Amino acid sequence: MSFIPISLIIWLIEDLLYLIIFPGLVTILVLVIVIIWLERKIAAKVQMRFGPLWVSKKIGGALQSLADLLRYSFQEVIIPEKADRLAFILAPGLMFAFATIALIFIPVGPYYSVLFPSYYTILFSLALIIITPIFAITVGWASDNKFSFIGALREGFLLISYEVPFLLSVVSMIIIFRTYDYISAVQSQLNFLPGIILNPLAALVMLIVMIRTTGRFPFDITEADSELVLGLFTEYSALFFGVGMATPYVELYNFSLIFSLLFLGGWWPLNINVMNPVYGLFLPGLVVVIKAFIVMAILVFLRAVYPRYRLDQAVRSGWSYVLLLSILSVILSVVEVMFLR
Amino acid sequence: MNEVRKPRDPVTGHVKALAKGFKYLVEPNRMTLDYPAETMKLPPNYRGFFTVDDKKCIGCSMCEMVCPPEAITMVPRIIGEGGKTLPAPEGEKEAKGPKRTKRPVVNWGKCIFCYFCVDVCPVDAFIPTQVHDLAFEKDNEYRPSYEEYLKPPEEPYKNAKKVVSKADLKRGVGYEPAP
Repeated sequence: MSFIPISLIIWLIEDLLYLIIFPGLVTILVLVIVIIWLERKIAAKVQMRFGPLWVSKKIGGALQSLADLLRYSFQEVIIPEKADRLAFILAPGLMFAFATIALIFIPVGPYYSVLFPSYYTILFSLALIIITPIFAITVGWASDNKFSFIGALREGFLLISYEVPFLLSVVSMIIIFRTYDYISAVQSQLNFLPGIILNPLAALVMLIVMIRTTGRFPFDITEADSELVLGLFTEYSALFFGVGMATPYVELYNFSLIFSLLFLGGWWPLNINVMNPVYGLFLPGLVVVIKAFIVMAILVFLRAVYPRYRLDQAVRSGWSYVLLLSILSVILSVVEVMFLR
Repeated sequence: MNEVRKPRDPVTGHVKALAKGFKYLVEPNRMTLDYPAETMKLPPNYRGFFTVDDKKCIGCSMCEMVCPPEAITMVPRIIGEGGKTLPAPEGEKEAKGPKRTKRPVVNWGKCIFCYFCVDVCPVDAFIPTQVHDLAFEKDNEYRPSYEEYLKPPEEPYKNAKKVVSKADLKRGVGYEPAP
Protein backbone atom coordinates (compact mmCIF):
# COMPACT_ATOMS: atom_id res chain seq x y z
CA MET A 1 0.00 0.00 0.00
CA SER A 2 2.97 2.29 0.37
CA PHE A 3 2.96 3.29 -3.28
CA ILE A 4 -0.43 5.00 -2.87
CA PRO A 5 0.12 8.45 -1.41
CA ILE A 6 -1.80 8.98 1.80
CA SER A 7 -3.17 12.29 0.58
CA LEU A 8 -4.95 10.43 -2.22
CA ILE A 9 -6.71 8.18 0.30
CA ILE A 10 -7.76 11.18 2.39
CA TRP A 11 -8.96 12.85 -0.78
CA LEU A 12 -11.08 9.83 -1.72
CA ILE A 13 -12.53 9.51 1.77
CA GLU A 14 -13.42 13.19 1.76
CA ASP A 15 -15.16 12.80 -1.58
CA LEU A 16 -17.10 9.83 -0.29
CA LEU A 17 -18.17 11.79 2.78
CA TYR A 18 -19.34 14.63 0.57
CA LEU A 19 -21.28 12.28 -1.68
CA ILE A 20 -22.85 10.11 0.98
CA ILE A 21 -23.38 12.31 3.99
CA PHE A 22 -23.25 16.01 3.29
CA PRO A 23 -24.70 17.42 1.05
CA GLY A 24 -25.16 14.06 -0.63
CA LEU A 25 -27.49 11.14 -0.54
CA VAL A 26 -28.39 11.00 3.15
CA THR A 27 -29.28 14.68 3.21
CA ILE A 28 -31.31 14.23 0.04
CA LEU A 29 -33.24 11.31 1.54
CA VAL A 30 -33.98 13.17 4.79
CA LEU A 31 -34.88 16.40 3.01
CA VAL A 32 -37.15 14.68 0.49
CA ILE A 33 -39.00 12.86 3.26
CA VAL A 34 -39.34 16.03 5.30
CA ILE A 35 -40.37 18.23 2.40
CA ILE A 36 -43.06 15.82 1.17
CA TRP A 37 -44.50 15.73 4.67
CA LEU A 38 -44.26 19.52 4.94
CA GLU A 39 -45.99 19.99 1.58
CA ARG A 40 -48.92 17.81 2.58
CA LYS A 41 -49.13 19.38 6.02
CA ILE A 42 -49.05 22.98 4.74
CA ALA A 43 -51.68 22.29 2.09
CA ALA A 44 -53.86 20.58 4.72
CA LYS A 45 -53.57 23.49 7.14
CA VAL A 46 -54.56 26.05 4.53
CA GLN A 47 -57.39 23.85 3.26
CA MET A 48 -58.87 23.29 6.77
CA ARG A 49 -57.74 19.65 7.03
CA PHE A 50 -55.34 17.69 9.24
CA GLY A 51 -53.02 16.20 6.65
CA PRO A 52 -50.91 13.13 7.47
CA LEU A 53 -51.42 12.47 11.16
CA TRP A 54 -51.98 8.90 12.28
CA VAL A 55 -48.52 7.54 11.46
CA SER A 56 -46.59 8.88 14.46
CA LYS A 57 -49.29 11.14 15.84
CA LYS A 58 -47.11 12.76 18.49
CA ILE A 59 -44.88 14.47 15.93
CA GLY A 60 -47.69 15.39 13.59
CA GLY A 61 -47.40 12.42 11.25
CA ALA A 62 -43.83 13.23 10.21
CA LEU A 63 -43.02 9.58 9.54
CA GLN A 64 -45.81 9.26 6.95
CA SER A 65 -43.45 9.71 3.98
CA LEU A 66 -41.09 7.11 5.44
CA ALA A 67 -44.01 4.70 5.78
CA ASP A 68 -44.95 5.42 2.16
CA LEU A 69 -41.36 4.73 1.09
CA LEU A 70 -41.42 1.38 2.91
CA ARG A 71 -44.73 0.53 1.26
CA TYR A 72 -43.35 1.32 -2.19
CA SER A 73 -40.28 -0.83 -1.55
CA PHE A 74 -42.34 -3.94 -0.84
CA GLN A 75 -45.02 -3.55 -3.51
CA GLU A 76 -45.23 -5.77 -6.56
CA VAL A 77 -43.56 -4.43 -9.68
CA ILE A 78 -46.01 -4.45 -12.56
CA ILE A 79 -44.74 -3.90 -16.10
CA PRO A 80 -47.41 -3.46 -18.77
CA GLU A 81 -47.37 -6.01 -21.57
CA LYS A 82 -46.95 -3.55 -24.42
CA ALA A 83 -44.48 -1.27 -22.63
CA ASP A 84 -40.96 -0.82 -23.95
CA ARG A 85 -39.43 -2.89 -21.15
CA LEU A 86 -35.86 -1.59 -21.15
CA ALA A 87 -36.84 2.07 -21.32
CA PHE A 88 -39.66 1.50 -18.85
CA ILE A 89 -37.26 0.10 -16.27
CA LEU A 90 -34.25 2.32 -16.94
CA ALA A 91 -35.83 5.75 -17.42
CA PRO A 92 -36.98 6.52 -13.85
CA GLY A 93 -33.67 5.35 -12.45
CA LEU A 94 -31.68 7.45 -14.90
CA MET A 95 -33.94 10.41 -14.18
CA PHE A 96 -33.20 10.09 -10.49
CA ALA A 97 -29.52 9.45 -11.13
CA PHE A 98 -28.99 12.56 -13.26
CA ALA A 99 -30.93 14.69 -10.80
CA THR A 100 -28.62 13.42 -8.06
CA ILE A 101 -25.35 13.57 -10.03
CA ALA A 102 -25.90 17.29 -10.62
CA LEU A 103 -25.14 17.70 -6.93
CA ILE A 104 -21.46 16.92 -7.58
CA PHE A 105 -21.04 20.26 -9.27
CA ILE A 106 -23.03 22.32 -6.77
CA PRO A 107 -20.54 23.33 -4.07
CA VAL A 108 -21.91 24.01 -0.62
CA GLY A 109 -18.71 25.37 0.84
CA PRO A 110 -15.65 27.39 -0.21
CA TYR A 111 -13.42 24.29 -0.38
CA TYR A 112 -15.98 21.84 -1.72
CA SER A 113 -15.02 19.81 -4.74
CA VAL A 114 -15.79 16.26 -5.65
CA LEU A 115 -13.40 14.36 -7.99
CA PHE A 116 -11.77 17.52 -9.33
CA PRO A 117 -11.95 21.26 -8.71
CA SER A 118 -13.47 23.02 -11.66
CA TYR A 119 -13.96 26.58 -12.80
CA TYR A 120 -17.06 25.70 -14.81
CA THR A 121 -19.35 24.28 -12.10
CA ILE A 122 -22.35 26.41 -13.13
CA LEU A 123 -22.20 25.08 -16.67
CA PHE A 124 -21.69 21.46 -15.59
CA SER A 125 -24.57 21.49 -13.11
CA LEU A 126 -26.93 23.16 -15.59
CA ALA A 127 -26.02 20.63 -18.26
CA LEU A 128 -26.79 17.75 -15.90
CA ILE A 129 -30.04 19.30 -14.69
CA ILE A 130 -31.27 19.92 -18.22
CA ILE A 131 -30.78 16.24 -19.14
CA THR A 132 -33.38 15.08 -16.58
CA PRO A 133 -36.60 16.06 -18.46
CA ILE A 134 -35.47 13.98 -21.47
CA PHE A 135 -35.90 10.87 -19.32
CA ALA A 136 -39.28 12.15 -18.19
CA ILE A 137 -40.33 12.17 -21.84
CA THR A 138 -38.81 8.69 -22.25
CA VAL A 139 -40.97 7.49 -19.35
CA GLY A 140 -44.08 8.80 -21.09
CA TRP A 141 -43.09 7.13 -24.34
CA ALA A 142 -42.16 3.78 -22.83
CA SER A 143 -45.34 3.32 -20.77
CA ASP A 144 -47.60 2.86 -23.82
CA ASN A 145 -50.42 4.61 -22.01
CA LYS A 146 -52.34 7.56 -23.36
CA PHE A 147 -52.22 9.43 -20.06
CA SER A 148 -48.47 9.02 -19.78
CA PHE A 149 -48.08 10.01 -23.42
CA ILE A 150 -50.12 13.18 -23.00
CA GLY A 151 -48.09 13.93 -19.87
CA ALA A 152 -44.87 13.50 -21.84
CA LEU A 153 -46.12 15.80 -24.61
CA ARG A 154 -47.01 18.44 -22.04
CA GLU A 155 -43.60 18.04 -20.43
CA GLY A 156 -42.00 18.59 -23.84
CA PHE A 157 -44.05 21.71 -24.54
CA LEU A 158 -43.26 23.22 -21.16
CA LEU A 159 -39.63 22.18 -21.37
CA ILE A 160 -38.93 24.16 -24.51
CA SER A 161 -40.91 27.19 -23.37
CA TYR A 162 -39.19 27.54 -19.99
CA GLU A 163 -35.63 26.40 -20.76
CA VAL A 164 -34.64 29.62 -22.52
CA PRO A 165 -35.72 31.96 -19.68
CA PHE A 166 -33.97 29.67 -17.18
CA LEU A 167 -30.67 29.77 -19.04
CA LEU A 168 -30.99 33.52 -19.63
CA SER A 169 -31.54 34.16 -15.92
CA VAL A 170 -28.43 32.18 -15.08
CA VAL A 171 -26.52 33.94 -17.87
CA SER A 172 -27.44 37.30 -16.38
CA MET A 173 -25.93 36.20 -13.06
CA ILE A 174 -22.83 34.94 -14.89
CA ILE A 175 -22.52 38.38 -16.48
CA ILE A 176 -22.76 40.09 -13.09
CA PHE A 177 -20.30 37.85 -11.28
CA ARG A 178 -18.03 37.42 -14.33
CA THR A 179 -17.43 33.76 -13.50
CA TYR A 180 -18.65 30.27 -14.35
CA ASP A 181 -17.92 29.02 -10.86
CA TYR A 182 -20.32 28.97 -7.93
CA ILE A 183 -17.59 29.47 -5.36
CA SER A 184 -16.24 32.66 -6.88
CA ALA A 185 -19.83 33.82 -7.51
CA VAL A 186 -20.53 33.45 -3.79
CA GLN A 187 -17.23 35.15 -2.95
CA SER A 188 -18.14 38.19 -5.05
CA GLN A 189 -21.55 38.29 -3.31
CA LEU A 190 -19.82 38.20 0.06
CA ASN A 191 -17.68 41.15 -1.02
CA PHE A 192 -20.56 43.19 -2.42
CA LEU A 193 -24.31 42.41 -2.30
CA PRO A 194 -26.40 39.22 -2.62
CA GLY A 195 -27.60 38.43 -6.12
CA ILE A 196 -31.27 38.87 -5.34
CA ILE A 197 -30.64 42.60 -4.74
CA LEU A 198 -28.29 42.93 -7.70
CA ASN A 199 -30.77 41.40 -10.10
CA PRO A 200 -34.26 40.74 -8.70
CA LEU A 201 -35.66 40.05 -12.18
CA ALA A 202 -33.36 37.08 -12.67
CA ALA A 203 -34.32 35.78 -9.23
CA LEU A 204 -38.01 36.00 -10.10
CA VAL A 205 -37.49 34.17 -13.41
CA MET A 206 -35.42 31.53 -11.65
CA LEU A 207 -38.18 31.00 -9.08
CA ILE A 208 -40.84 30.63 -11.78
CA VAL A 209 -38.67 28.17 -13.69
CA MET A 210 -38.01 26.20 -10.50
CA ILE A 211 -41.75 25.87 -9.95
CA ARG A 212 -42.25 24.81 -13.56
CA THR A 213 -39.42 22.29 -13.80
CA THR A 214 -40.24 20.55 -10.55
CA GLY A 215 -43.97 20.50 -11.25
CA ARG A 216 -45.04 22.54 -8.21
CA PHE A 217 -48.50 23.86 -8.21
CA PRO A 218 -49.45 26.45 -10.76
CA PHE A 219 -47.49 24.35 -13.26
CA ASP A 220 -48.67 20.94 -12.09
CA ILE A 221 -49.60 20.28 -15.70
CA THR A 222 -47.64 17.14 -16.53
CA GLU A 223 -49.07 15.05 -13.71
CA ALA A 224 -52.45 16.82 -13.43
CA ASP A 225 -54.22 14.17 -11.37
CA SER A 226 -57.74 15.33 -12.17
CA GLU A 227 -57.09 15.03 -15.91
CA LEU A 228 -54.29 12.53 -16.45
CA VAL A 229 -54.57 10.10 -13.51
CA LEU A 230 -50.91 10.58 -12.63
CA GLY A 231 -49.48 11.81 -15.91
CA LEU A 232 -46.09 10.32 -16.65
CA PHE A 233 -46.12 7.75 -13.85
CA THR A 234 -49.59 6.32 -14.42
CA GLU A 235 -48.32 2.84 -15.28
CA TYR A 236 -45.64 2.66 -12.62
CA SER A 237 -45.80 0.81 -9.36
CA ALA A 238 -43.62 -0.07 -6.40
CA LEU A 239 -40.18 1.46 -6.04
CA PHE A 240 -40.16 2.75 -9.63
CA PHE A 241 -43.14 4.89 -8.76
CA GLY A 242 -41.48 6.02 -5.54
CA VAL A 243 -38.32 7.02 -7.41
CA GLY A 244 -40.37 8.84 -10.04
CA MET A 245 -42.26 10.76 -7.39
CA ALA A 246 -39.08 11.61 -5.47
CA THR A 247 -37.20 12.93 -8.53
CA PRO A 248 -39.02 16.30 -8.69
CA TYR A 249 -38.12 16.86 -5.05
CA VAL A 250 -34.46 16.08 -5.71
CA GLU A 251 -34.59 18.53 -8.60
CA LEU A 252 -36.23 21.02 -6.28
CA TYR A 253 -33.33 20.53 -3.86
CA ASN A 254 -30.78 21.09 -6.64
CA PHE A 255 -32.54 24.18 -7.89
CA SER A 256 -32.91 25.57 -4.38
CA LEU A 257 -29.19 25.03 -3.75
CA ILE A 258 -28.39 26.84 -7.00
CA PHE A 259 -30.82 29.61 -6.06
CA SER A 260 -29.30 30.10 -2.63
CA LEU A 261 -25.80 30.09 -4.11
CA LEU A 262 -26.52 32.52 -6.92
CA PHE A 263 -29.08 34.81 -5.30
CA LEU A 264 -29.05 34.43 -1.52
CA GLY A 265 -25.33 34.80 -1.01
CA GLY A 266 -24.48 31.14 -0.44
CA TRP A 267 -22.87 30.81 3.02
CA TRP A 268 -23.37 34.55 3.45
CA PRO A 269 -23.20 35.26 7.20
CA LEU A 270 -20.01 33.20 7.36
CA ASN A 271 -16.87 34.38 5.65
CA ILE A 272 -14.42 31.54 5.86
CA ASN A 273 -10.81 31.44 4.78
CA VAL A 274 -9.65 28.45 6.80
CA MET A 275 -9.24 25.03 5.22
CA ASN A 276 -10.80 22.85 7.89
CA PRO A 277 -13.27 19.99 7.57
CA VAL A 278 -15.68 21.58 10.07
CA TYR A 279 -15.37 25.26 9.21
CA GLY A 280 -14.57 24.69 5.58
CA LEU A 281 -17.37 22.28 4.72
CA PHE A 282 -19.86 21.53 7.44
CA LEU A 283 -20.87 24.98 8.67
CA PRO A 284 -21.15 26.74 5.29
CA GLY A 285 -22.86 23.63 3.90
CA LEU A 286 -25.37 23.74 6.74
CA VAL A 287 -26.11 27.40 6.05
CA VAL A 288 -26.61 26.76 2.33
CA VAL A 289 -28.81 23.72 2.96
CA ILE A 290 -30.95 25.64 5.46
CA LYS A 291 -31.40 28.46 2.95
CA ALA A 292 -32.29 25.92 0.27
CA PHE A 293 -34.77 24.29 2.65
CA ILE A 294 -36.49 27.63 3.26
CA VAL A 295 -36.75 28.20 -0.50
CA MET A 296 -38.17 24.68 -0.90
CA ALA A 297 -40.71 25.30 1.86
CA ILE A 298 -41.87 28.51 0.21
CA LEU A 299 -42.27 26.74 -3.12
CA VAL A 300 -44.24 23.81 -1.72
CA PHE A 301 -46.49 26.31 0.06
CA LEU A 302 -47.74 27.34 -3.40
CA ARG A 303 -49.62 24.04 -3.67
CA ALA A 304 -52.05 25.29 -1.06
CA VAL A 305 -52.79 28.53 -2.89
CA TYR A 306 -52.83 28.01 -6.63
CA PRO A 307 -55.09 26.18 -9.02
CA ARG A 308 -53.53 24.64 -12.12
CA TYR A 309 -52.74 26.55 -15.30
CA ARG A 310 -53.96 25.17 -18.56
CA LEU A 311 -51.19 24.02 -20.90
CA ASP A 312 -51.77 26.88 -23.36
CA GLN A 313 -51.77 29.46 -20.56
CA ALA A 314 -48.51 28.13 -19.18
CA VAL A 315 -46.83 27.99 -22.60
CA ARG A 316 -48.07 31.47 -23.47
CA SER A 317 -46.81 33.00 -20.25
CA GLY A 318 -43.53 31.17 -20.76
CA TRP A 319 -42.98 32.70 -24.17
CA SER A 320 -44.31 36.15 -23.18
CA TYR A 321 -43.91 37.35 -19.59
CA VAL A 322 -41.16 35.06 -18.44
CA LEU A 323 -39.04 35.34 -21.59
CA LEU A 324 -39.47 39.13 -21.51
CA LEU A 325 -38.46 39.24 -17.85
CA SER A 326 -35.39 37.10 -18.50
CA ILE A 327 -34.27 39.30 -21.42
CA LEU A 328 -34.79 42.36 -19.20
CA SER A 329 -32.71 40.69 -16.49
CA VAL A 330 -29.83 40.17 -18.94
CA ILE A 331 -30.07 43.83 -19.97
CA LEU A 332 -30.13 44.86 -16.29
CA SER A 333 -26.99 42.83 -15.64
CA VAL A 334 -25.18 44.38 -18.62
CA VAL A 335 -26.17 47.87 -17.46
CA GLU A 336 -24.99 47.16 -13.91
CA VAL A 337 -21.69 45.77 -15.07
CA MET A 338 -21.12 48.76 -17.37
CA PHE A 339 -22.08 51.53 -14.94
CA LEU A 340 -21.95 50.35 -11.35
CA ARG A 341 -18.59 48.65 -11.28
CA MET B 1 -65.24 34.96 -32.38
CA ASN B 2 -62.20 33.39 -30.85
CA GLU B 3 -61.39 35.76 -28.04
CA VAL B 4 -58.37 35.22 -25.89
CA ARG B 5 -59.05 36.50 -22.40
CA LYS B 6 -56.06 38.17 -20.89
CA PRO B 7 -55.46 38.45 -17.17
CA ARG B 8 -56.24 42.01 -16.12
CA ASP B 9 -53.60 42.43 -13.44
CA PRO B 10 -50.72 39.99 -13.29
CA VAL B 11 -49.48 41.07 -9.84
CA THR B 12 -52.33 41.94 -7.45
CA GLY B 13 -54.16 38.65 -7.74
CA HIS B 14 -51.05 36.62 -6.95
CA VAL B 15 -50.18 38.79 -3.95
CA LYS B 16 -53.74 38.59 -2.60
CA ALA B 17 -53.90 34.81 -3.00
CA LEU B 18 -50.51 34.30 -1.34
CA ALA B 19 -51.46 36.60 1.55
CA LYS B 20 -54.71 34.74 2.09
CA GLY B 21 -52.95 31.37 2.02
CA PHE B 22 -50.33 32.60 4.48
CA LYS B 23 -53.07 33.88 6.79
CA TYR B 24 -54.67 30.44 6.85
CA LEU B 25 -51.27 28.82 7.39
CA VAL B 26 -50.63 30.92 10.48
CA GLU B 27 -54.17 30.71 11.85
CA PRO B 28 -55.53 27.37 10.68
CA ASN B 29 -59.29 27.04 10.69
CA ARG B 30 -59.88 23.30 10.81
CA MET B 31 -63.22 21.92 9.77
CA THR B 32 -62.24 18.26 9.78
CA LEU B 33 -63.38 15.83 12.44
CA ASP B 34 -60.34 14.03 13.85
CA TYR B 35 -62.36 10.87 13.40
CA PRO B 36 -61.04 7.95 15.43
CA ALA B 37 -60.01 10.31 18.25
CA GLU B 38 -63.27 12.27 18.18
CA THR B 39 -66.63 10.91 17.17
CA MET B 40 -69.94 12.65 16.64
CA LYS B 41 -72.62 12.46 19.30
CA LEU B 42 -75.41 10.91 17.27
CA PRO B 43 -79.09 11.88 17.28
CA PRO B 44 -81.41 9.53 19.27
CA ASN B 45 -83.00 7.90 16.24
CA TYR B 46 -79.75 7.26 14.40
CA ARG B 47 -79.95 4.00 12.44
CA GLY B 48 -76.95 1.79 13.12
CA PHE B 49 -76.34 -1.95 13.21
CA PHE B 50 -79.13 -3.92 14.82
CA THR B 51 -79.64 -7.38 16.21
CA VAL B 52 -82.70 -9.46 17.07
CA ASP B 53 -84.18 -10.68 20.33
CA ASP B 54 -84.35 -14.45 19.95
CA LYS B 55 -87.14 -14.86 22.50
CA LYS B 56 -89.39 -12.09 21.18
CA CYS B 57 -89.23 -13.00 17.50
CA ILE B 58 -92.17 -15.02 16.23
CA GLY B 59 -90.67 -15.91 12.85
CA CYS B 60 -93.41 -14.20 10.80
CA SER B 61 -91.02 -13.25 7.93
CA MET B 62 -92.48 -9.74 7.59
CA CYS B 63 -88.97 -8.25 7.81
CA GLU B 64 -87.78 -10.52 4.99
CA MET B 65 -90.69 -9.45 2.83
CA VAL B 66 -90.28 -5.71 3.44
CA CYS B 67 -86.50 -5.58 3.07
CA PRO B 68 -85.76 -3.46 -0.06
CA PRO B 69 -82.31 -4.85 -0.92
CA GLU B 70 -83.30 -8.38 0.16
CA ALA B 71 -80.61 -8.42 2.78
CA ILE B 72 -82.62 -10.42 5.31
CA THR B 73 -82.90 -14.18 4.97
CA MET B 74 -84.93 -16.41 7.29
CA VAL B 75 -83.08 -19.44 8.65
CA PRO B 76 -84.91 -22.52 9.96
CA ARG B 77 -84.65 -23.10 13.73
CA ILE B 78 -86.01 -25.55 16.27
CA ILE B 79 -87.99 -24.17 19.20
CA GLY B 80 -86.18 -25.07 22.41
CA GLU B 81 -86.99 -24.61 26.05
CA GLY B 82 -87.83 -21.16 27.46
CA GLY B 83 -88.50 -19.60 24.10
CA LYS B 84 -84.89 -19.98 22.89
CA THR B 85 -84.21 -21.60 19.54
CA LEU B 86 -81.71 -24.24 18.55
CA PRO B 87 -80.06 -24.72 15.19
CA ALA B 88 -81.94 -26.93 12.78
CA PRO B 89 -80.23 -30.09 11.49
CA GLU B 90 -77.84 -29.50 8.61
CA GLY B 91 -79.20 -29.52 5.10
CA GLU B 92 -82.69 -28.45 6.20
CA LYS B 93 -83.65 -25.40 4.18
CA GLU B 94 -87.31 -24.93 4.95
CA ALA B 95 -88.92 -24.79 8.38
CA LYS B 96 -91.42 -27.62 8.03
CA GLY B 97 -92.37 -30.11 10.68
CA PRO B 98 -92.89 -30.14 14.45
CA LYS B 99 -91.39 -27.41 16.63
CA ARG B 100 -89.94 -25.59 13.63
CA THR B 101 -89.70 -21.80 13.32
CA LYS B 102 -87.69 -19.16 11.44
CA ARG B 103 -85.35 -16.37 12.48
CA PRO B 104 -83.95 -13.42 10.43
CA VAL B 105 -80.25 -12.96 9.56
CA VAL B 106 -78.98 -9.77 7.95
CA ASN B 107 -76.33 -9.68 5.25
CA TRP B 108 -74.47 -6.45 6.14
CA GLY B 109 -73.04 -6.27 2.65
CA LYS B 110 -76.52 -5.68 1.30
CA CYS B 111 -78.25 -3.85 4.16
CA ILE B 112 -79.00 -0.18 3.51
CA PHE B 113 -80.01 0.60 7.12
CA CYS B 114 -83.48 1.79 6.13
CA TYR B 115 -84.96 0.22 9.30
CA PHE B 116 -88.12 -0.92 7.46
CA CYS B 117 -87.70 -4.28 9.22
CA VAL B 118 -87.50 -2.59 12.62
CA ASP B 119 -90.65 -0.59 11.83
CA VAL B 120 -92.63 -3.47 10.39
CA CYS B 121 -91.90 -5.99 13.13
CA PRO B 122 -95.23 -6.76 14.92
CA VAL B 123 -93.54 -7.66 18.22
CA ASP B 124 -90.64 -5.13 18.14
CA ALA B 125 -88.10 -7.93 18.24
CA PHE B 126 -85.22 -5.99 16.64
CA ILE B 127 -82.76 -4.29 18.99
CA PRO B 128 -81.38 -1.15 17.28
CA THR B 129 -78.01 0.36 18.24
CA GLN B 130 -76.14 3.47 17.15
CA VAL B 131 -72.98 1.63 16.16
CA HIS B 132 -72.37 2.49 12.51
CA ASP B 133 -68.59 2.31 12.02
CA LEU B 134 -67.76 -1.37 11.96
CA ALA B 135 -65.28 -2.72 9.42
CA PHE B 136 -65.17 -6.25 8.09
CA GLU B 137 -61.79 -7.67 7.24
CA LYS B 138 -62.89 -10.82 5.45
CA ASP B 139 -65.55 -11.65 2.93
CA ASN B 140 -67.76 -13.88 5.10
CA GLU B 141 -67.66 -11.58 8.12
CA TYR B 142 -70.47 -9.41 6.83
CA ARG B 143 -72.60 -12.50 6.17
CA PRO B 144 -72.94 -13.72 9.77
CA SER B 145 -74.55 -16.96 10.85
CA TYR B 146 -77.58 -16.64 13.13
CA GLU B 147 -75.52 -17.21 16.28
CA GLU B 148 -73.03 -14.55 15.24
CA TYR B 149 -75.85 -12.21 14.33
CA LEU B 150 -77.38 -12.47 17.81
CA LYS B 151 -74.30 -10.89 19.48
CA PRO B 152 -74.86 -7.13 19.92
CA PRO B 153 -72.37 -5.05 17.84
CA GLU B 154 -69.54 -3.45 19.79
CA GLU B 155 -68.71 0.20 19.38
CA PRO B 156 -65.14 0.36 17.98
CA TYR B 157 -63.95 3.65 19.51
CA LYS B 158 -65.36 3.71 23.03
CA ASN B 159 -62.77 6.12 24.45
CA ALA B 160 -63.18 8.69 21.69
CA LYS B 161 -64.10 12.23 22.60
CA LYS B 162 -67.75 12.93 21.78
CA VAL B 163 -68.34 16.12 19.81
CA VAL B 164 -71.27 17.85 18.19
CA SER B 165 -71.13 19.92 15.01
CA LYS B 166 -71.56 23.64 15.27
CA ALA B 167 -72.25 26.13 12.50
CA ASP B 168 -70.70 29.56 12.82
CA LEU B 169 -71.37 32.39 10.38
CA LYS B 170 -67.78 33.62 10.50
CA ARG B 171 -65.88 30.41 10.87
CA GLY B 172 -68.06 27.91 9.00
CA VAL B 173 -68.70 24.41 10.25
CA GLY B 174 -66.75 23.25 13.25
CA TYR B 175 -66.97 20.86 16.21
CA GLU B 176 -67.27 21.43 19.94
CA PRO B 177 -67.33 18.98 22.87
CA ALA B 178 -70.69 17.39 23.43
CA PRO B 179 -72.67 18.70 26.41
